[in-house]
Amino acid sequence: MAAISTRTFRPSAGQRRLAAKLVGAALSLAFVLVFNFFLFRVLPGDPAKNLTRNRLVPAEQVQVLRESFGLGKPLSQQFITYVGDVLTGDLGISYKFRRPVSEVIAERIWPTVLLLGLSTILSTVIGLWIGIRGAWRRGSVFDRVSLGASLTLYAMPEFWLGILLLMVFGVGVEGFPGLFPTGGLSSPNTELASPEGIVDVARHLFLPCLTLTLAYIAEYALVMRSSLLDELGEDYLTTARAKGLRDALVLRRHAVPNALLPTTTLIFLNLGFVVSGAITIETVYSWPGLGLLSYEALRTPDYPLLQGVFLLFSAAVILANVLADLLYARLDPRVRTG
Amino acid sequence: MGVLAALLALTAAPGVTAQEQPAGKLTFTVGIINDVDSLNPFIGILAETYEVWALMYDYLVGYSQKDFSPVPQLAESWEVSDDELTWTYRIRQGVKWSDGQPLTAKDAAYTFNRIMKGTFEQTNYGNYVGNIEKVTAPDDATLVMTTKEPSPTMLRLAVPILPEHIWKDIDEKEVSTYENEKNVVGSGAFRLEERKTGQFVRLSANKSYWGGVPRIDEVVFRVFNNADAQLQALKKGEIDFGYDLDPAPFNSLKSTPGVTTVAGDSASFSELAFNTGAALDTGEPIGDGHPALKDKRVRQAIAHAVDKQAIVDRVFGGYATAATSVIPALYQNLTFQPDDGEALNFDLAEANRLLDAAGYRDSDGDKVREMPDGGRPLRFRLFSRQESNQSQQSVQFIQGWLRDIGIATEVKVLEENRLTEILGQGEYDMFEWGWGVEPDPDYQLSTFTCGARSYKQGGDILANLSDSFYCNPEYDKLYEQQKVTIDPARRAEIVKQMQRMLYVDAPYVVTVYYDDLQAYRSDRFTGFKPQPDPGGAVLFHYGIYSYLSIGPPQATAASGDGGGGVPIVPIAVGVAVVGAAGVLLALRRRSTQDERE
Repeated sequence: MAAISTRTFRPSAGQRRLAAKLVGAALSLAFVLVFNFFLFRVLPGDPAKNLTRNRLVPAEQVQVLRESFGLGKPLSQQFITYVGDVLTGDLGISYKFRRPVSEVIAERIWPTVLLLGLSTILSTVIGLWIGIRGAWRRGSVFDRVSLGASLTLYAMPEFWLGILLLMVFGVGVEGFPGLFPTGGLSSPNTELASPEGIVDVARHLFLPCLTLTLAYIAEYALVMRSSLLDELGEDYLTTARAKGLRDALVLRRHAVPNALLPTTTLIFLNLGFVVSGAITIETVYSWPGLGLLSYEALRTPDYPLLQGVFLLFSAAVILANVLADLLYARLDPRVRTG
Repeated sequence: MGVLAALLALTAAPGVTAQEQPAGKLTFTVGIINDVDSLNPFIGILAETYEVWALMYDYLVGYSQKDFSPVPQLAESWEVSDDELTWTYRIRQGVKWSDGQPLTAKDAAYTFNRIMKGTFEQTNYGNYVGNIEKVTAPDDATLVMTTKEPSPTMLRLAVPILPEHIWKDIDEKEVSTYENEKNVVGSGAFRLEERKTGQFVRLSANKSYWGGVPRIDEVVFRVFNNADAQLQALKKGEIDFGYDLDPAPFNSLKSTPGVTTVAGDSASFSELAFNTGAALDTGEPIGDGHPALKDKRVRQAIAHAVDKQAIVDRVFGGYATAATSVIPALYQNLTFQPDDGEALNFDLAEANRLLDAAGYRDSDGDKVREMPDGGRPLRFRLFSRQESNQSQQSVQFIQGWLRDIGIATEVKVLEENRLTEILGQGEYDMFEWGWGVEPDPDYQLSTFTCGARSYKQGGDILANLSDSFYCNPEYDKLYEQQKVTIDPARRAEIVKQMQRMLYVDAPYVVTVYYDDLQAYRSDRFTGFKPQPDPGGAVLFHYGIYSYLSIGPPQATAASGDGGGGVPIVPIAVGVAVVGAAGVLLALRRRSTQDERE
């Protein structure tokens, strides 16, 4: 019997790989789902009490609030309700904002994706360019200066770099006017969907995006530079040159594609974190993103919101990892067989 | 290079800097540190949110700018029946909701009835209606409320009056998640225009407001996630108002041209609190408080050992006042001042003498006193709050003074959430925290009643309001008495008597009344009104006086361009550090490079 079934469907190595990856990802997500529930309930603080602290709320009323959050029930029952709700796509109602968690998250996700997405793209492109150019002309003035500068920026606390840029370009120093807003995503009285609105958002986006880009360039530059340096001694490059290819072509067609592999991993790892935001930069520039939202949720603690936000973060990381694995297999045939 | 051109275009984009207003609108921008949580009056809880509601809605009775006494708002006048149980309010006529419908006594009756009959609606306002039996509107101009017992808080009902024709369609289930952000109908001096979560709330002036037409066209509350950025925005002129500032930035604003600073008295105090013997509301003991602190002579000795003026000067930078009582001094009619004989002034010798006399002596010569039976040493846990620098600094000073009177302390810094839990369980000896006190003293005084201690529910101990576990039947008797005394002078007498008990029994050592440090762009706006007058804060108090009175300064003195307040030195240093580090790294690379070749 078993022999028949294997004969009717014999998955290829690639399909098996994909299936294994997806099952693994689903298991990770399920683990996160369960783990989050218990993790956040270990946090100190009673949400009902914290939401009514120092206000004219009688004890009976706090109890009503506690019941309405479902916190009066035994933990096991709360857990079953939670899992059931999540599986049916209901993330619950935020304690603090009193709105559906999915709605609260939806509102905050696009500023985060805009900021983190753009700065990830910019730092990747610039970082790779610096890394490639530096490795190809190793020891040149460009290599030394760019590497030194990007390492310094990498070593600087983001918070400090952010405040510095805010003071120079946001507020202005003597003789140099503040060109950009000190924070926020848009100005009141502007329609976001109009040309003025787009310019307005771009102006607000400039400084936080610049800060994040500067902070992350080094990561890409370094990885790219060292992996390209590894390739430079390889025989196939000598062969390519012997074929009479110009230097630029040797670099572009032969060296860079091979050196890109480690960088791809890095890019996808970082892409996974695009939705989780950057709490420090969101704080400095008052950027209304998900990083800050999760921090606010921790303070209550707003269990449904925390669970929703962390589920999203985990899902993004897991998804990016699966994608990286799949892409890796395409880029490097050795991974496919192994 | 196209990128560069685009960037230049960005910086040069016309008409979008925050200071510039579209078409001559006068916008007053307040920088807030906490985002408004929910604009639904049944949900929101933050001070910032209450400030916005006060602009959007009206209350029956307001608080005077001079001294917080009740003043007419929607109720033009009021009277109480001879048995002190029935209150009749005459409702202002001709007031219109923002959608043009007339506001009548029926709306007020609806609002109160909704709270009384609701469950979720009770969360924010249950305390105000607990004593109300019946609310009716016999006609459009008359609101009648009957109470179960005489109640002085009937002129302190901080409930925004809502339009019945809107809220009747939002049922009990929907109200707990209703946003109240779109097409909001209110009667207040300002109307909600738009709200962007995490960014700003924008309101426009109601040009037919019964209380006078605001001179400004718009108010914007802009959210900042950190105080530094808020400060910089104020210096630059992107915002016009900042509050809750720390002493150091506040001092730096004093020399900023075009900015005026206000160190306003606020209705808040800080205290050193004791575990006076933790127990449930039933009297069953809980927790593990140190037995010595059940003795009020030990607490009084500690009160003598706290140098309040030093805390004012060295922790609050002078922006506070040495305090005595749980009803702050700015409530002049209610606050308590001890006589010379009973004052627990800073006096370490007196503190030592009291402890000696009470039998707490250091019998083993380790500089720490022991219980009178010679057993357990006076070694107390002392908690401060992670969220507050002032809390941590105060506690350090207190630790030093207590060492001088032979009391050892183990200082621990805790998150406020964690501390709240520990307090509810009675598992502490001393801690530092504070309260903001409403114009009506009832709530603050209630936190010291026996019934406000923790309670048990299904095996769990849950915290209530009391965090000192003070319980004194005499005090409770007076508490019940002030609750039913309508005559302000008589009530004030009782309230002062209660404060005297708290002062002498010392469940708290009230250390300071701290100021609310505020600052505004006086080159753009003048005419702010303090509450209480003089000496109070100009925004974020009990009323909207400043929002109605502020306008552009008369004589437009040439003001700076708003920028330039930032010292160039730290920035130059920063740039130099980056540059130097870059060069160093480059050089290092070169040297290793040389070795390799």
